[in-house]
Amino acid sequence: MSLSGWEAVFFWVFAPAAIFAGLLTVMARNTVHSALFLISSLLSVAALFVLLGAEFIAGVQILVYVGGVMVLFLFVIMLVNVGSEERGDVSIFNGTRQVAAGLIFCLLLALTLLFAVNQGVEGLKARDRLKEETIQRTSNQNLEVAATGTARISKESEKLGSALYRYGSLAFEVASVLLLVAIIGSVMLARTIKQEAAADDVSPEVLLEESKYESELARFVSSETEAVRETNA
Amino acid sequence: MLSTVTPVLIFLQAEVSRTSVAWERIQHPDLAKFLVFGALLFVIGVAGVLTRRNIIVIFMSIELILNAANLNFIAFARYLQETGNANAVAGQIFTVFIIVVAAAEAAIGLGIVIALYRNKETILLDQIDILKW
Repeated sequence: MSLSGWEAVFFWVFAPAAIFAGLLTVMARNTVHSALFLISSLLSVAALFVLLGAEFIAGVQILVYVGGVMVLFLFVIMLVNVGSEERGDVSIFNGTRQVAAGLIFCLLLALTLLFAVNQGVEGLKARDRLKEETIQRTSNQNLEVAATGTARISKESEKLGSALYRYGSLAFEVASVLLLVAIIGSVMLARTIKQEAAADDVSPEVLLEESKYESELARFVSSETEAVRETNA
Repeated sequence: MLSTVTPVLIFLQAEVSRTSVAWERIQHPDLAKFLVFGALLFVIGVAGVLTRRNIIVIFMSIELILNAANLNFIAFARYLQETGNANAVAGQIFTVFIIVVAAAEAAIGLGIVIALYRNKETILLDQIDILKW
């Protein structure tokens, strides 16, 4: 498999763009900027999907990730207070030792992955060389390559759909149940006491009493832990 | 005179051929290039998870990691398709399910973040230490 012509140009535009946007996602001080950089990284990866001939996946990536998940992220960022990070009052990274250990781990991980990729691809190519040669000999070589591979916009989505329903139908149903559970679970997790009282048909006072008791308990626990820490120190 | 020039010429020729091979590889990005870029995205995501304090940014790094896995799946699907494998669409099916699970995970995780913020008034992970001794 190798891209050529304009496809290669677009690869060298979008792949570094995805990497840089990912780096900026991790390093941006403002959380909203992080989310926007992540959106651009996801869009670049979607472009790579188009280059690889997976048009349906690229569309799903843009619709679900950029249109759904990232909007959810932005809503949550606006709901919680991230002001202290943005103003620069606190560091956005962990302590120096943790960061150093994490970066060393990442470096080792990167080296291992690159080594494994090189080795593995060599092996894979050696295995498939014969096959590839026969395919290149038999396929017609005179097709013009279009800029985005649109000459190949193909029956890929059709094949994907039929394979999804033929071989993955059980997993498909399980995924739909998973999404239902996620919807109900997130509603349960994020509701306030008043909403909880309205839904459970309990008078809010009872729940408030309970929550008061719980917060007192939490306060007691934290004071206890403080005391334990002081005695430890 | 000739004996001093010849090795230099041979060296230059080797260099030229090597750079032309590299240029050829740049002009024709193959499976390995996609895998390398996927690995880099993955490592960046892991670095974000390990170093950031903000729980929302950590969630975004997890999305980066999942996307790197998707890129690998799609690259392998294309590779298998071009080598005439009958089961080449499997990679794309896996990617669909990864996207579904990522969406569910983001919804649940952000619900937890909202509940946590209501109780602790913070989203910095090192201040959420109520379970710590």
